[in-house]
Amino acid sequence: MSAAAAPFLSVRDVRKSFGAVEILHGVSLDVAGGSVLALLGENGAGKSTLVRTIAGDHQPDSGEVLVEGRPLGGRDVGAARRRGIRLISQEIADAPPLTVAENVALGDWPARRGLLSPRRLRREAAEALAALGVELDLDAPVSTLRMGERQAVEIARALRGDGRCLIFDEPTAALSDAEAERLFAVIAGLRKRGVAIVYITHRLDEVFRIADAVCVLRDGEVVLREPIAAVDRDAIVRAMVGRELGGRPARPAPPASAAAPAAPAVELVAGSSGEAFAEVDLALRPGEVASLYGKVGAGALEVAEAIFGMRRLDGGELRVGGRAVRFRHPADAIAAGIGCLPGDRQGQAIFRPRSVAQNLAAPSWRALARGGALVTAGREAAVYRHWHDQLGIRSRNDPAQEIWQLSGGNQQKVVLGRWLQRGSRVLVLVEPTRGVDVGARQEIYRAVRELAAAGSAVLIATSDYEDVVHAADSAAVMVRGRIASRLAGDAITVEALTDAAGGVVHV
Amino acid sequence: MSEATQAIPRSQSPSLRGAPREPARARRRIPDTVGLLAFLAAEIVFFSIRSPYFLNWDNWVNILNAIAITGVLACAGTLLLVAGQFDLSVGSGVAFVGVVLATVAPDQGLAVAVPLAVAAGLGIGLLNGFLVTVVGVNALITTLGTLAIFRGLTLVIGEGQNIIVDDFAWATERPFLDIPVTALAFAALAVVFLLVMRLTVYGRKMYAIGANPVAARLVGIRVNRSLFLAFLLSGLCMAIAGLLATSQLGSTSGTTGSGLELAVVTAVILGGTSLAGGVGTIQGTIVGLLIVGVLSNGLTLLNVESPWQQVATGILLILAVAFDRLRQTVLARRA
Repeated sequence: MSAAAAPFLSVRDVRKSFGAVEILHGVSLDVAGGSVLALLGENGAGKSTLVRTIAGDHQPDSGEVLVEGRPLGGRDVGAARRRGIRLISQEIADAPPLTVAENVALGDWPARRGLLSPRRLRREAAEALAALGVELDLDAPVSTLRMGERQAVEIARALRGDGRCLIFDEPTAALSDAEAERLFAVIAGLRKRGVAIVYITHRLDEVFRIADAVCVLRDGEVVLREPIAAVDRDAIVRAMVGRELGGRPARPAPPASAAAPAAPAVELVAGSSGEAFAEVDLALRPGEVASLYGKVGAGALEVAEAIFGMRRLDGGELRVGGRAVRFRHPADAIAAGIGCLPGDRQGQAIFRPRSVAQNLAAPSWRALARGGALVTAGREAAVYRHWHDQLGIRSRNDPAQEIWQLSGGNQQKVVLGRWLQRGSRVLVLVEPTRGVDVGARQEIYRAVRELAAAGSAVLIATSDYEDVVHAADSAAVMVRGRIASRLAGDAITVEALTDAAGGVVHV
Repeated sequence: MSEATQAIPRSQSPSLRGAPREPARARRRIPDTVGLLAFLAAEIVFFSIRSPYFLNWDNWVNILNAIAITGVLACAGTLLLVAGQFDLSVGSGVAFVGVVLATVAPDQGLAVAVPLAVAAGLGIGLLNGFLVTVVGVNALITTLGTLAIFRGLTLVIGEGQNIIVDDFAWATERPFLDIPVTALAFAALAVVFLLVMRLTVYGRKMYAIGANPVAARLVGIRVNRSLFLAFLLSGLCMAIAGLLATSQLGSTSGTTGSGLELAVVTAVILGGTSLAGGVGTIQGTIVGLLIVGVLSNGLTLLNVESPWQQVATGILLILAVAFDRLRQTVLARRA
């Protein structure tokens, strides 16, 4: 921890491009043994590219990565591993059916002449877990563990064989409060043992709890690099966002009905669902865009799922038009006039090999069919042409064109048209701009505003604050399954959102 | 009509990757069945040159009759595979239906035996549907299991004997253009399935389920309900095929219908139904059936022995699936 100590890890002026796009524009940073460097930045700032370069997964185009003053050498993950660098990625990469002991040893099984030594495997796993202060049944399949425990197994694996620099990529994103506390204790222990730690996070409160120094990346450049004592929360947020703090882009005026709010079309009262969220109150009113904002795992997406019948409530009540309902299947929600744009377009929304017309007509087939059973391609085509013009879908305007040929933003418009055709008056939008390019993003925001102006009740559930700032009339910020704060109108700012989602409420 | 959809040379080289996307799109618009039809035409030309009998109407009736039983089962097989499901129990189902008919008919008469036999087929479909959609066992495993169960039960009930069924030759009658009832029944069923898949809400749902079961649920399709019905339809097809087969042969035995499940899968996949689900047509399956049927008929006319015919059919299946994989890869790369 002494400032005089030579850094264990040094990154010197690293540049990295993919194709014609340079992601890292000359990044430098140092991490000393026995210290924690918090690495922050918005999505797309280059954090993941940087740590994967350090871990040997990417090769820098220029510049170098030094470990104890000597270049990494070698051009693969193995080289970085041998020098003691370990990356613990965001997604847990374990083998669920194998036991805890086997997972700790994964990829580096203790063996003699190719023969596995089960006793050594167990002993070494027990040692690695003990070093973390974690007690787990060595013979339990990893699939039976909770998220935090699985992460402990990942860390134990990383520490095996002289792990001297650990890089955590958003480790608390999927953890409960208690599990996060546990992780902080583990990190404190590692720090005491002289391990160098790089810690990527979005949560500012965590930074001030565990970090010795802060490094903020923006658009592939280091914009802030200070000891923790030299910065405050505002300085970090300013560095991350880098623009128009406090304000928000010009938007249409709030609906005239704002003075006397309409009766809610959908209302969630004290809704709870397992460990995903608890006691959430939410009202969706015609003509308004409500939003749920929170980091992944905070519960915002799960609330949206419950409203669309994808997830059961085990507490509280869902009301549609003032009457209590119980959705057992999305079909129930659809029948109640609710439509949903899922977050994973490829996986949850589109029928890749089918035509755009069929993709758009899917929830309306029965309504379009003669006698409720016979659909004709002609009616589907007419419906598609209508929404093609209305929504400005950029395609060949050929109803038979397969949907995978459209760009992401235009696929999204087809999915939106699906619910407009169905006549859904309530729309639940999950991560509506994920994987959508900048231009289409603005069009989606405009479309959302227009939907509300035309009298729809809209809910945006997102982990991207841009969605909230640009499109929402009100925001409920979720932290670890609960609504931590509510913002409305001009109080919805990037700063306020980021702050609230970090778990600290400024009064 | 946009200019992009017409007059695109078929042999756009694959090296055009990264070039403007229009040619790629247009090339995809050439129906997948075109290649298969060309293959079928080549077969027909080849065999008609090599054998003077090949083009006779009698021979064509033979071909139709030979593919009819497989064809009846392939109708439901296509519907299932379009939704990403399999039914491997169809061969055993045909034998089970036959043995129920043959053992009940002598004592109770056909008026009782036929409905019972149909119920037997539907029962197998019901069991498959229940296991797949309610219990949640994978369709491949479920129907492999029922394949073994009903083959075994057939042998138990029939004691492994060949049982003659008297006065049940209706399927061999030739009421129209000298075509046997078996082939006509297949033709009628194929038309029904074609219309169901093309024109009904149910057909649309099955394509959607096969293309993306998660998305299907999220547009309000009750996936399990739809799949259950499809397995039941497969059971109905087993009943029809069982009655036809028993009538055609005038008897049934423990080995009746063995290997039919593979013949069905071969024809369906050969006909362009994607193993990944969401793509496929009855028309394609009919072409697939004809490719196999014509090959086997032609090879017989050329005195090629049956073992070699099997080798040829196997090679054909692998070629067809390899082609499908290639198509998928190209499709994925262009996304």
